[in-house]
Amino acid sequence: MKHRIIALALASTAFATVAYAEDPIKIGVPVGLSGANSVVAPSVVQAAELAVEEINANGGVLGRQLQLEIADDASGAAGAQKAFDALVFQKEVNVVISMETSAARNAGLPIISKGDVPYIYTSFYEGKSCNTNLFVNAWVPEQQVPPVVDNFVNKQGAKKFFLIGSDYSFGRGMLTFAKDYITKTGAEVVGEDYLPMDGSDWTAIISKVKSSGADAIITSTAGGAPNVTLTKQLRSAGINVPYGNLAVDEGTAKSMGAEAKDIFLSASYVTGIDSAENKSFLTAMEEKFGKDMRTPNDLSVPQYEAIYLYKAAVEKAGSTDTAGVVEALPSVSFKGPRGEISMSKQHHAPLTMYLGQVKDDGSVAVVDSFKDVDPGDQCPNL
Amino acid sequence: MTLILDILSTAAILFIVSAGLLAIFGVLKIINFAHGAWLTIGAYCAVVVAGLGINPWCALPLAFVVGAALGGLTEHFIVRPLYRRPLDAILATWGLGIVIGQLITLWFGRDVQFTPALLAGAVTAFDVTYSLYRLFAIVAALILGLGFAFLLDGTRLGLSARAVIMNETLARALGIDTEKVRLATFMSGTGLAALAGVLLAPLTSVDPNMGVAWLTGAFMLVMVAGSSFGALAAACLVFGAAQVLISIYFSPVVGGMAVAVLCAVTLRIRPKGFARA
Repeated sequence: MKHRIIALALASTAFATVAYAEDPIKIGVPVGLSGANSVVAPSVVQAAELAVEEINANGGVLGRQLQLEIADDASGAAGAQKAFDALVFQKEVNVVISMETSAARNAGLPIISKGDVPYIYTSFYEGKSCNTNLFVNAWVPEQQVPPVVDNFVNKQGAKKFFLIGSDYSFGRGMLTFAKDYITKTGAEVVGEDYLPMDGSDWTAIISKVKSSGADAIITSTAGGAPNVTLTKQLRSAGINVPYGNLAVDEGTAKSMGAEAKDIFLSASYVTGIDSAENKSFLTAMEEKFGKDMRTPNDLSVPQYEAIYLYKAAVEKAGSTDTAGVVEALPSVSFKGPRGEISMSKQHHAPLTMYLGQVKDDGSVAVVDSFKDVDPGDQCPNL
Repeated sequence: MTLILDILSTAAILFIVSAGLLAIFGVLKIINFAHGAWLTIGAYCAVVVAGLGINPWCALPLAFVVGAALGGLTEHFIVRPLYRRPLDAILATWGLGIVIGQLITLWFGRDVQFTPALLAGAVTAFDVTYSLYRLFAIVAALILGLGFAFLLDGTRLGLSARAVIMNETLARALGIDTEKVRLATFMSGTGLAALAGVLLAPLTSVDPNMGVAWLTGAFMLVMVAGSSFGALAAACLVFGAAQVLISIYFSPVVGGMAVAVLCAVTLRIRPKGFARA
């Protein structure tokens, strides 16, 4: 009897050890499947799925397969709290890699700290969000605004800027930075106005733009609907001054077609990037998703690259322990569709930025590019 | 000049959106909380028409027919059984609005859809360049208002409707088929809401939840207007002006609240709102 018990105990330990080694590495992806980000979320999920499929096909990470756990954060703080709680404490993910609204990110950070998991934030945002476990591989205003403003001031002779935004942290943060930068170049900001995030009536603001004599407009609205309503209403009011949109993506611009013509946008990713990595990425996406493919964009490509960056960090650290991964992340890099990316500057990444202009068929033509733009001092205390 | 045009066109748009809701409220004495969903249905009719490559103006009659047909089904299956329970009927329409919104999402997806502009560009007159479409909205609202005035004063249905508005039980006692009046009114109201949706589409983005934002404003305006279209026109003009002026001179965020706050204040001071005694 005693021998049987020992044998059983040994057998179950063996089983347990075997089971542990086969455990997949879980990547938590809280993303706005509903709410303001619901238009973009499918492309982000697709990018994540492709990265995981490619890595698993090549043997996974440290011999373990990657597994995605996707949760809906409803694009807001309340939903993010539920999503992060579920991912970090119920599903016990090893890392959170996602694109979210600033409201959702800010709600998730305390849970990240409490659960002590690394968090790679893949969305561009207003900057200055700092946490030992937080890493950002997308752009901040210091990288996105100067190309547009410099072009308007130097190439289009703009002297009076009117700033329009949605009333939330991203909208206000971007325009605050833009205002400072514009004033530094010597031009003047003649107006700055905001509508609530779900507002769709820009009439009063448009009238103010006309009466202010502005010769350039810079906008930073929430993605999706506000971009469309503002552009439609500006165009039908006959306003044709240079228009820089800090928050429109290629996909939305393409579907707006002729109305989006001549809008300037500044991004770290455009589908037209002429590199081998981007071409093979786009081919792989088309093969995997076919006609269901959502146009890769500046919010979905960083997600793809972030998963590879995590892989590199885990391999460098030798395990998925948060402390090791967090230490390794600033020093690893990955050559992806956007070029060589490394989150080496205070947990943020120097990025190559592209200034694009929308053509009359809705596609984006690259007007200028700026290599390795520095993100500035985002988190001097990290 | 731009300011006056802004005020008139804002008032016109508010009127177009609220007219359908007022018609239903006046006769059936319930608020159709699915009004926003009907606006959305109308806008998606415009999307379908654009997708089929037909002249976008065809979306107007199509939306009216679709909206009215759906309204007829709704009145028959949802509103009529709840005739003696108006509060439950209101709740039912709220639920219906949610269901319609989700069905649209399932069918069309969550993405923002685009419709070609009915009237593109701006027109210059009196030293001012103004959006041609907004000017058209003013004309459309006038046609709508006059149309309703004619309907109520010049047709048999209008006469019956006015009787039902004043006192339904008495109207029934006099032999007026109140059930038919209710059905016809509900169908007109929802058809009108869908029509408004088509007219809204060029000004805003078309997505499954676009109607919800307009529902609150329309509801407030109808509460203040009571049951008269004249009162509704007056309310739209006054509150539309307030919204535009506050947005320009204070901030658009406060301006957005203007309609709701002013309606609440007006009803507090004068419970009849803009309606005559």
